[in-house]
Parts: sequence; structure tokens; C-alpha cells
Amino acid sequence: MNMIYILFSLMFGGAILTFLAHKVSGLLRDILFVLTILASTVLFYTKIHTGDAVDFSISGLPLQWGINAYGRIFSLIVLGLGVMASFYSVSYMKGKERLGYFYFNFLISLISMMGILMSHDLVSFFIFWEMMTWSSYFIVIYNGKHVQRSGINYILFSALGAYAMLMAIVMVYAHTQSLMIQDMMQAFPFFPVAYKVWLPILFLTAFGVKAAMMPLHVWAPDAYSDSPMAYTSVFSGALSKMGIYGMIIVFVTMVNYLPDDTWFRETIAWLGAITAIMGTLWAIAQDDARKLLAWSSVAQLGYIITGVAVGTPLAMLSALFLSVMHALFKGTLFMAVGAIEKQTGTTKFNEVTGLIRKMPWTFISSLLAIIALAGIPPLGGFVGKWMLYESLINSNHYILVIAIFFASTSAFLYCYKFLFGFFLGQEEKEWEQVKEAPALMVLPMLIMATLLLVFGVFPGIVLNPIDLGMQTLGFSTTAGTFWSMSGLFNEWGNQVMLQPLVYAIGGTFLFFLILLTVKGFKETRYVTTKDISSSGEVPLEHENLTFSEGFYQPFLRAVWPVMKRRMMSYYQGFGQGMEAFFDYLRRVYSGNGQTYAIYVLVFVVILLLFKNSLFG
Amino acid sequence: MINDKNSQKIVDIIQNFARQHSIWVLAYGTGCGAIEIPPTMTSRYDAERLGVRGAATPRQADVLLITGYLTTKTLKRVIRVYEQMQDPKYVIGFGSCTINGGMYWDSYNTIKALDRYMPVDVYINGCMPRPESVLSGFAKLQELIQAGKADGAKKYKENLEWYRTNQKKVIPNWHMPEYNW
Amino acid sequence: MKEILYYTWGAIVSFVVAFSVGITYMGLNRKITARVQNRYGPPWYQNFIDVIKLSSKKTSIHHGVMQHMGPAFIMVTSVVSLLVIPILNGNKFFPNLNFQGDLIFLLYIMVFGPLGMALGAGQTGNPNSAIGVTRGLSQMAGFEIPWVMALVALMIQYKTTSIVDLMNVQVESGRWLMFSSPFAFLAAVMAMLGMFRYAPFDIVGAPQELASGPMSENGGKYLFVMMSAGSVFAFAKLTLYVDIFMGGADNLIILVVKTFALYLIPMLYGITSPRYRTEQSVRWFWGWPSFFGLLAILQAALF
Repeated sequence: MNMIYILFSLMFGGAILTFLAHKVSGLLRDILFVLTILASTVLFYTKIHTGDAVDFSISGLPLQWGINAYGRIFSLIVLGLGVMASFYSVSYMKGKERLGYFYFNFLISLISMMGILMSHDLVSFFIFWEMMTWSSYFIVIYNGKHVQRSGINYILFSALGAYAMLMAIVMVYAHTQSLMIQDMMQAFPFFPVAYKVWLPILFLTAFGVKAAMMPLHVWAPDAYSDSPMAYTSVFSGALSKMGIYGMIIVFVTMVNYLPDDTWFRETIAWLGAITAIMGTLWAIAQDDARKLLAWSSVAQLGYIITGVAVGTPLAMLSALFLSVMHALFKGTLFMAVGAIEKQTGTTKFNEVTGLIRKMPWTFISSLLAIIALAGIPPLGGFVGKWMLYESLINSNHYILVIAIFFASTSAFLYCYKFLFGFFLGQEEKEWEQVKEAPALMVLPMLIMATLLLVFGVFPGIVLNPIDLGMQTLGFSTTAGTFWSMSGLFNEWGNQVMLQPLVYAIGGTFLFFLILLTVKGFKETRYVTTKDISSSGEVPLEHENLTFSEGFYQPFLRAVWPVMKRRMMSYYQGFGQGMEAFFDYLRRVYSGNGQTYAIYVLVFVVILLLFKNSLFG
Repeated sequence: MINDKNSQKIVDIIQNFARQHSIWVLAYGTGCGAIEIPPTMTSRYDAERLGVRGAATPRQADVLLITGYLTTKTLKRVIRVYEQMQDPKYVIGFGSCTINGGMYWDSYNTIKALDRYMPVDVYINGCMPRPESVLSGFAKLQELIQAGKADGAKKYKENLEWYRTNQKKVIPNWHMPEYNW
Repeated sequence: MKEILYYTWGAIVSFVVAFSVGITYMGLNRKITARVQNRYGPPWYQNFIDVIKLSSKKTSIHHGVMQHMGPAFIMVTSVVSLLVIPILNGNKFFPNLNFQGDLIFLLYIMVFGPLGMALGAGQTGNPNSAIGVTRGLSQMAGFEIPWVMALVALMIQYKTTSIVDLMNVQVESGRWLMFSSPFAFLAAVMAMLGMFRYAPFDIVGAPQELASGPMSENGGKYLFVMMSAGSVFAFAKLTLYVDIFMGGADNLIILVVKTFALYLIPMLYGITSPRYRTEQSVRWFWGWPSFFGLLAILQAALF
């Protein structure tokens, strides 16, 4: 029996067993849940090799599952984040209800993501895509909070995407009589022009919904923030990457053959940039950490979409590298928020402050993740950002690079807000008893944060599989031309050698840290956060001096004209307009027999009048 | 070499020179005397040429300039500010009110002699002292620093209990964290 | 091993030069400000005295580990950007790391320290510090736009992102980029006003308003390291401007003359200006400076 069958049976079987074990014992359920993911990860990386594939058919439809080097990049994200999140959720979900339901859907969404990566035909791709949507939908409504708003929005937009994809699949089948993705790619250059234009648009609608691209993003902030944080790390880190996975295929195989692809690319690239800017601005305005990270996810995916749409080898490298990094740092951050939520019971910045001494490990991992998110050098985010800027400059996108840069500079604002809001500021008596999260929650965060540091110094570790994957897509190898183990190059031959720079950073930091510590060591003392220079006044214990209300009010005042127009209000306006229109249309049915007779008469007259043009 | 006595002497000379010529003042404008500080600092009298410069917070300041009378309420804040300053630190009492209570000598809620509550290195006499005398006060402080005699902070550390008793005697509601050296 | 020692030695020499020049500039700034205000003013070496005094403070306090590390973070920015920026033409005398990084690396390392220090300022729990930080970050989002526009214009015009290449372009053509890309220079200089945080953009550490903002809880050795880092960083920034707009320098004297001439711009503009509110300053940077930046990009793209 082929290993791919075994993989899928293992995962499905594990999911069902986990669901059933919930009735028996909580411990057994947790063990089965973690074991399923671990075993399938081990199986996938040891027994299934690039290029493996199986053919089979269901009721005459030939289907094919297999894995290529390109899918393997994303499998790193899905399975790697999956393993981390599984350990995390066992601890995070402890004591919550309906855990069988949660774990089952968690596993199903992992299976469906692996299925998407391994489908070589459009039918199983579509089925797995729908499974992914539904399983994640069930988790979004798991908490029972804002089901109306977040759940309905999510499923509505997903359905829109799914119909678009289904339509595209039918169009492809009608033209090529085959459902293999490979056949579609080969036949695409010979499609009629209308097909060539509509297919990518339909596919991009489907993928854009999952990747939260600008006009289709409205579901994302609510859905990300309302699902349990243990799953949101996978939701934002891995599941949204499926949209990127599809987009890259569309851009490489379809958009390249468009008669005039520049406009197409520019539009999508600008949509990505606008997504990045608006996501960043809205993230700055949030007072809830989950909302902040959700908007920031939208913004980060905007960068990736821009990279994909520009489509030069360097841009593609940067998009794929940023995808991996985004999975790592956003996974860490959502986990950190989950840890804080579990320990304190709230995720609002104006309620929790001063946790740094109580939850030091959570702080360190979120600090590293935030540095990576901001794109500051020694960590992984910088490599992705650098390649994105260089690719945009090299490919003459001058204004686009400014837009992206604006989004990424403004990102510092919410980065600081996140760290300050939770960990810094006055240490309040209210949160004195807070303890560090359980080790099972802290360890995944720390491992991922450490990986960010390693990948920041040696990006070659990640760029190597990415390069192999891009070769599958038809790019020539970029190793040596654009990157080496710890060096980056652009098309003009400029370089950043990370190792010496990182050593310089580390050396300087250590030197001055030691200087600061050793100098006057005995005369340096720690004082509490109540001991601040506030005009001689001694703040009493109940007096909260932390500055967290209206944190970026002046900045938001400056950018308010841009933020006034919200996409959601347009959708609502559209909805109201349609409602009014159909209400008007309804009046056709007046209930009066005379009116209906007139309708029949008018119809016959029209038929007679336009007889020639209609039936001639 | 560093523990050598002579080199320590050289270091002391350099440090005292630096402390003498760089005086960051936290002007605690408690009373009417605060009005004399702006002319001292600005174009007319230009204290900056002596290295005197305003500091924004007690953490950065070297000199606490107490300008005028102190009510018992204000005294609590002043003590707090003084204790937040970093060593070496100096206090200048400004105006007659800090010396003997001045025109408030029989007031029920002002203190009379500042140096019962905190160590004062230099007094500037007058009601009000003109900017010239403020400058001469700074010059006097510089002299003391150079000679190594401005050791009010050391005195405060040594006689902390005496100062505390005095302070607690006049301040009725003493809610302050204890000062740990 | 020998190479590492060589580079460390280079770093130390550049640091000492940058430190002394930067501190002198800060002192001269105070002197010139005093002369403009019709005062005699402190001696030009006043800031040296201040720095020595701060380092000779006996006690110091901190509110936790982040505040303790904050000055080290800001020093990283100063030293590493000094290492990445070539100090003299042809990399003479100062063996630095300027072949290892480029302008975009520099842009990002330049925000490393301020963010680290902002974390330290946040830990103090002083509301003034946090307010100062939010103002500083907002302002940074303002002035980075014209600054990046100017840099992008240069990059696309000369097809390089390396500072050394930009300097070589000027040496070969014998023409300063300041004259061949005037709009980029204008935008960059306007951004520099914000970068130096002198008036009218001194909302971050406004002493009368925020009690010196992010620095309000730092005294003694922490303030000492911060002040040194600030002066080194000021020199590094000025050198960068001289490198990419004014043809670099062949020896230290020319470098000092050019950097000082450039330093006069934010200084003199600052002395005669009041203070903007945060949103005013942010919008100011997105107004005329960004317009000049756009013109620079147009010029670079079309000609």
C-alpha cells in the first residue's frame, strides 16, 4: 500500500479516534491528538519523498495525489506549526468544553491543508479546500462569541471564493476534458483570450478570500480574533498561506501567458500594498491584542501578496520566505496572547499591564517575534523584507516600494503597543498573582522564537527548500545569485552579509551591556514602577498611571482621512441596496389577476416585436 | 595601576572638575522665588556659561534648587524628589524663607529652617535674591564641589534617622516608601 | 582571528572619532544657540564635561531588565550604523563593515536602537516616557517617507543600493549628488530635521511638556551611555548624508567641515522655530518633503 494512503488514513483515523476518545478519557484524547500529528509528521518527512504520487479513480473520475518540492515548502509551515500548536492546545484548551469537537476540527483542517498541498487534480483540491473552510468555520464559532458577525462573514466570503473556484474548474473541464492541474497548466497557453482573463480572476478570488486580500478581507479580523488562540496560530499562520499557495500557482502558470500581464500584476500588487497599509493602520487603532494581531496578519499577508504579484525570482523568494517567517512569528504571537488570556483572563491592553516580571518567557518569545515582525535585522523578518524591497526596486516599482515601506514603518507603532500594553508599564497590584504559563505552552513559543533567530542569521536553511520548490514552478535556481547560506544579493550585485553584521550587533550589545552592569554594580538598585519621578507625588497602590487609553491618538488623527472609508460599510451598503432593489422587484407580484394578464400581454407583444432578432 | 593612590587622585580631580562645571538644576519652584529662575537662565544673566542647565526630572539632576517657602504639604514632595536624585547631589536653599521662614516665620503650615529636614549645601539670602546672587550661589557651590566639601548627601545618609524624625514630626500623613540606600 | 582583531580595532577608532566629533557638535550647538539668543553660552567643550559628570555619578536606579538594557540597544544602532557607513572615500584608515551591508540594512538597523530604548522607557512605568515614545514612533512614520523616497530615487538612478557605490559614482563623475539629484537632497534634508529631533520636531523629549520623555527615568550611567550613543549616531547620520549627497570626504578635516555645514541646517532651523504638535509634524512630513521625494523619484525614473 502506498505511503500516501497510509498518511491520510492515519490522519483521518486519528481524527475520528480523538473524537471518540473524548467520550472515554481526557488524557487519552490529548495523547491521541498529539500522537496523530506527530506520527503523520514523522511519516511524511521520512517515508514520503518529493515526486511520489498515487493514481486512483472514484466513479470514473481519475484523481491523483502526490507531493512536489513546491508543496513541500508549505508542508513545512502546516506540519511544523501544527506540531507546535498541538502541544500548545493540549495545555491551552485544558478545562474547556466540547474538546472532542475542537480537536476533531483541528485535525481535519490540518488534513485538508495537507490534502490541498498533495492534490494533483482539481476535484480533490476543491474538496479539500471546502473541508478546510468548514473545519475552520466550526472552530471560529466554537467560542460562541459574535457567531453572527464573524461566523457568517467568514462562511459567506468563503462560499463566494468556493463558487468562483468551482466555476473556474468547470470552465477548465469544459475546455480540456481533464481535471489534472498539470493538464490545465499545459493547456492554458492555448485557451481562448476570454478564458485566459477569467480563469486567473476566478481563481484569485478564491485564493484572495483565504489570503485576506484587500476587498475580500473583511471576514479576517473577526474570524481570527474569535477563534481560540491555539487554533488562530494555525489559522493565521498556515491556513491563510493556502491562499498564497494557490496564488503563486496562478501567477506562475496563468498570468505569465496573459496577452498583457503588466496591468494584472500591478493591480494585484497594489491591492496587496493597500491591504498592507490599511491592515497596519487598523491594527494601530485596536485596543484588543487579538484584534491587533488579526489586523496585523491581514497586513503581513499584504506584503506577501505584493511579492507574489510582482513575480520576479527575488520577489517570489521573498514572498515564500515571508510566508514561512509569518507562520513562525504570528504563530508565536497568537500563542503568547493565548497564554496571557489563560493567565489573566483578558486580552485588552488597557486592562493588563506590567507582566514582564511575571511572565518572562512569554515576554522573551514575543519580543523576538515582534522584532521579526518589524523586520529588524538580526531576526528572520528582515531577510524577507530586504528581499521584498530589493525586488521591488529592481523591478521598477518605485511608488509601490514607498507604500510597502510606509506600511512597514507604521508597523513599529503597533509592535510597540503590543509589547508595552501587556508586558511593560506600571506593575499593578491586580496582576500580582499572575504566574508564567505552563511549560507546554511556553516551550512551543520559545522554540519558534529561537528558530526566527536562527533563520535570521542563516536564511539559507529556509531558502534551500524554497529554491527547490521554485525550480518545480519553472524558475531557474537562485542559490548563489540571490542568496547563500548567510548572505543576500540583489540583481545589481549589492549584498548583505548577515554573519559579520550579526556578530557586530551581538558584540556591541554585549560589550555595552557588560559595561552598564559592571559599572557601579553595587550602587545600582532596582526600584519598583511606583517609584517614578511624578513631581514628587507618590502614586498610591490603586492609582494606575499606565498610559494605555488613546495610545496613538495623534497619529490616528493624522491618518484619519484614509481610515474613514471602511470596506465593510461598502459591503453593508451593497447589501442594503440589494435588499431595497429586491423589495421593489417583489411588487411585481401584486396578487391582482388583471396585472398578471397585462404581463402576459406585454410578454407576447415583445416576442412578436423582436421575433426576427430573437429567433431569426 | 587603577588602584594606585596617585591615579585615584587624578581621577578625583577630573571628576570634581566635571561635577563642578556641569550642574544640572532641578528648580523646584515652590513659592514666589521661582520667578527669579527664568532671568537667571536666559539672555540677561545666562547661567549656562557656568555650566548650569535645567534638568527635567530628579533622575537626571545634580542640584535641587528650592525657591522659597515650603508648606508642610510641599515638603513631603520635596523630600521625595530629593531622595529620587542620584548621588552626588546638592541642595541650594533659595531666599530667606528657607533659612528662617522669612515673612512666613509665624505661619502655621510652613516650615522655618530647611536644614532640619534635608541637608542644604548653599543658602542664598534675600527676599527675593536677585539673579546676581543666585549666580554667586552657584559659584559658591562650585567652589565647595571643587574642594570636595559639598557633602550634604553624605550627611543625610549618616543622620537619616534624625532627619526622618524631624520630617515625620511636621508631616502628618506619612505615606512614603522607606528609603533604601 | 587576525581579521576580527583588525575590524575590532577599526570599530574602536571610528567610535572614538565619532564620539569626540559628535560631542563637540552637541557643544557647538549649545554655543551657537546661546549666541543666537544673545547669550555668552557655555564653552564648546561643555558636553564633554557633562558626559564625564554623568559617568561619574555614583548611584543609579533601574526599573527592570529592559530599562537596564535600553542604552545598550541604542548603542548597537549607533555603532553598527557607524560601521556600515563608510567614513572616508575609498575606505581609507577606517576598516569597517561597509561592504557587508547596504542602505536598506542601514534603514532598519537605524530603528533597532530607538525601539529597544522605547522598550526600556516603557518599563519605567512613567507615563511621560510612554507618551514620548508614541510621539517618537508617530514622527518616525512621518519622516521615514521622504527619507526613503530620496534614497529610492538615488538607488534607481544609479542602479545600486550600496553606499560605497554611490560614493564612487560621485568620485568618478566629480559631481555631487546634491546637485545632480536636487529634489532627493531637499527631501532628505527635510527628513533630517525630523531625524535630529530639534525644534520644531522636538515633541519626543520636550522637557517642558513631557519631562524629557523617554529619558525621564534614566540618570547616571544610563544617561551617560545614551548621550554618547546620541552623539555617535548624530555623527554617523551626518556622515551618511555627506557620503551620499556631498561626495564623501578624502580626509577627516574635509569630513568635519562638510558634516558641520550640514549640521547647521537642523540646528539653525531649530533655534528659530517653535514646536509642532504630533499630528502637525506627521502631516508636515507627508506634505512638501514627500512631494519633493516624489519629484526626485520622477526625475530618477524619467531622466
